[in-house]
Amino acid sequence: MTAMARVRAGWQHANRRGDVSAAAMALAPAVILFAIFNIYPLLYSGYLSVMEWDGFSPDKSYVGLDNYRALVESATFRNALGVTLQYTLSVAVLGVAASLVIAVLLNSGVCGQNIYRLVYFLPVVTSTVAAAVVWRYLMTPGTGYADVLLRDLGITPPNPTWLRNPTWALRIVMLVGIWKRIGFNIVIYLAGLQNIPKEFYEAATVDGAGTWARFRHITIPLISPITLLLVIMSIIDSFLIFDVVYVMTDGGPIGTTEVVGLLLYREAFRYFNLGTASAMGWVIFAIVFAVTMVQWKFFGAREASL
Amino acid sequence: MKRASVILAIAALLLVAPVLQGFSQVHVASAQDPIKLVFWNYWDGTNGEKIQELVDRYNEEHPEVEIENVFVGWGELLPKLQLAVAGGDAPDLAAADMVWMPALANSGALVPLNAFIEASGTDTSDFYPALLSVNTYDDQIYGLPVSTNNLELFINTDLFEAAGLDASAPPATWDELAAAAAQCADPDSGVVGMELYTQPGEGLTWQFQVYLWGAGGDFLSEDLTQAAFNSEAGLQALNFWLSLIDSGAYTLSDWGLFGQGQACMVLDGSWMVGGMAESAPFNWTTAAMPAPADGQPATNMGGEHAFIMAQDEAKQQAAWDFINWLTSTDVQIEWDEATAFMPVRDSVATNEAYMSWINENEPRLLPFVDMQQYAHNRPPVEQYSELSDVFSAMIERALYGQMDPQEALDAAEAAVNSLLS
Repeated sequence: MTAMARVRAGWQHANRRGDVSAAAMALAPAVILFAIFNIYPLLYSGYLSVMEWDGFSPDKSYVGLDNYRALVESATFRNALGVTLQYTLSVAVLGVAASLVIAVLLNSGVCGQNIYRLVYFLPVVTSTVAAAVVWRYLMTPGTGYADVLLRDLGITPPNPTWLRNPTWALRIVMLVGIWKRIGFNIVIYLAGLQNIPKEFYEAATVDGAGTWARFRHITIPLISPITLLLVIMSIIDSFLIFDVVYVMTDGGPIGTTEVVGLLLYREAFRYFNLGTASAMGWVIFAIVFAVTMVQWKFFGAREASL
Repeated sequence: MKRASVILAIAALLLVAPVLQGFSQVHVASAQDPIKLVFWNYWDGTNGEKIQELVDRYNEEHPEVEIENVFVGWGELLPKLQLAVAGGDAPDLAAADMVWMPALANSGALVPLNAFIEASGTDTSDFYPALLSVNTYDDQIYGLPVSTNNLELFINTDLFEAAGLDASAPPATWDELAAAAAQCADPDSGVVGMELYTQPGEGLTWQFQVYLWGAGGDFLSEDLTQAAFNSEAGLQALNFWLSLIDSGAYTLSDWGLFGQGQACMVLDGSWMVGGMAESAPFNWTTAAMPAPADGQPATNMGGEHAFIMAQDEAKQQAAWDFINWLTSTDVQIEWDEATAFMPVRDSVATNEAYMSWINENEPRLLPFVDMQQYAHNRPPVEQYSELSDVFSAMIERALYGQMDPQEALDAAEAAVNSLLS
């Protein structure tokens, strides 16, 4: 029985007399909470995005699309969008690619697979802020372990050093972003890899396909739905990056790590421009939504043709 | 199936129950119940212990009130306050950074204190006017200063001696400061001569202002309507920072080198004195922050101001009584001695017992007390946080060589003026 058929059978079973109301009851708490904590704030922020409000005073004034117009004209916002895009693409592409390679290696029967899995997965369950504090410490010139280790390896830090360096700061933040996600990607990939029937590889080997050919023509195509999922999830998550940057660089040096999330936080909670901040939120939402739709269409079409 | 629905209904109810309970907790106060006040502040360490002790004592001496002292971190206090006001769950009183006062006073969430001050006969002229001015909005006073501090020079005497310098004759002008810093810096071991705050944000701005004022400049025009830092003094200050970088006396890095024993000198606050006296692993002393030879002594002041947010009138009165007590001369002397904060009132600064206490216990606080008279406050404008950020972002560009100094000041002036207009 395929998965779809099973769901359909389950539905027909449930549909028998009154069970729909039981299902509704079961779903109600989740739906209500989702509406209160997700849908309502979403709509409310849309309302705020056309208002001017300092977050305290009872009166808000309607300003139409002024907040959005100001964003389009703001060089700071454009810079932040650029930085966020750069971060997102790097983390999504490099992070997913690296995790596929590691997952394949792990799947090829390395001994101590579970230990590796644990090591790679630990960052996922670590608090991001705590991890960022540790990374920041590691990169401290003179006393941070990473900095000392690099010096011992003969790599002298650039001047200004790592996190104050306009070329290096974003790269280090990206590295932390990838490091944080990679364990999750690996676990999902491992599950996917184990679902690929061994016979495919055996048949290919008989036909004379080498390791690379098997990876290229069996693993990659069969794993592509998972790749799609991971890329979309990485993009959505990375686009909302805030905590790592807030802790490690606070947007500096000279704006090279200033992501939209940070700008939004500042507008809302440091400058009290709730309207502008909400407009930013909606711009991010629109971009993430559009990117996801495009990916869905593109990959979805490809998958159907397979 | 019936049973399943019942179980589900109960489960759903249990999930929602805590929320409902929240709504139903409308407490009816009886005559004997003490008035409960919630007091937010971000004092931690020694300061946090002292404020807790003072609150406990106040509660004991005043059985009719019960103040709950709640610590909220500096970075979270303002956002949390904002959310609490929006959610109708604001604390009854709070103490917060003086820089936020103009925005807070303008928000409509604070209770004006004039009537209370008048009724209790409090002499506000005893408070330093520069401190009080940030709380005044439309002729109404919205807060009283509880603590203040300023920035002076800290010297690592170990590093000074190693470099052949004498910490008992600290630099008295910018030129001497630059010379000592260059002599003391040791790039091989990562030691800088004079640590600067070069990360964008208020840290940079409030340090830079000391140099700006020292050179005779000002940050905003007197009527607070436009930028005034794009001047000869502003250029002199920025060029001085750049000369420290060029000479190798400072290398761009994260703030905090002095505390790690990696900086010979730093401009830092009086609040550092207590903690460093206890735990700094090196010898250190303090001195007045130098100004240019033809400049004027100057420093920047910070501190916390207490204000009332309670809606209920009985609570407002109780909160005022506490604030009035906390800012009274006797309590202030006790507070300043425990925390090393600077006096907020003249009657504390001129109090003989207080001054002799400092001389005996921590003479390293003397430069701070002496210089408090030269302390400027940051312009009390509502948009200050944003001004500070855009200003520092441009200065940072000059420090990174992305703009030349005049270009950076021009850009900062344009950005600040557009925020003020």
